[in-house]
Amino acid sequence: MLLENDAFLSELTKLFMQGKSSRSVSMTMKRYDGWTKPKPRASVVAEPAEYKCLVRATLGNKKISTVINHKDVTKFQMVSL
Amino acid sequence: MTYLTSWEEFAKAAERLYLSDPIKCRFVTKYRHCDGKLCVKVTDDKACFQYRTEHAQDVKKLEKLTGHLMRHMASKEK
Repeated sequence: MLLENDAFLSELTKLFMQGKSSRSVSMTMKRYDGWTKPKPRASVVAEPAEYKCLVRATLGNKKISTVINHKDVTKFQMVSL
Repeated sequence: MTYLTSWEEFAKAAERLYLSDPIKCRFVTKYRHCDGKLCVKVTDDKACFQYRTEHAQDVKKLEKLTGHLMRHMASKEK
């Protein structure tokens, strides 16, 4: 499920706590260009003005995700690390 | 499996792969506290590099690398 950055960080902490005893916690990071609709085959893709970062985390079958903008990267890093 | 032997190799491969195709490349980390193991993988669906460790010192290096990549991904540059 897609969350705000702060909600994502608190859910992530919970995931790590729960996964301590037995299971794997997995995290994925990828660049994201902000498209929410499918891209039509014939058209030319417009160059996005600004990229974002997509972060996902899973524990068993529980999934959470968030999108980070450039200005939120510093804040996100300080809190998460 | 494409496990690399040292962190430096992994970090270099990750940067290279990301710079070659930023929109396709993804970076995955998996942590198992019960085994004390950390696995990281970087792939662009054509090539894949992995690294596995049980050392706490590698966690620090991982944090630095993920911070660096995250910054790159959310930045304005191509």
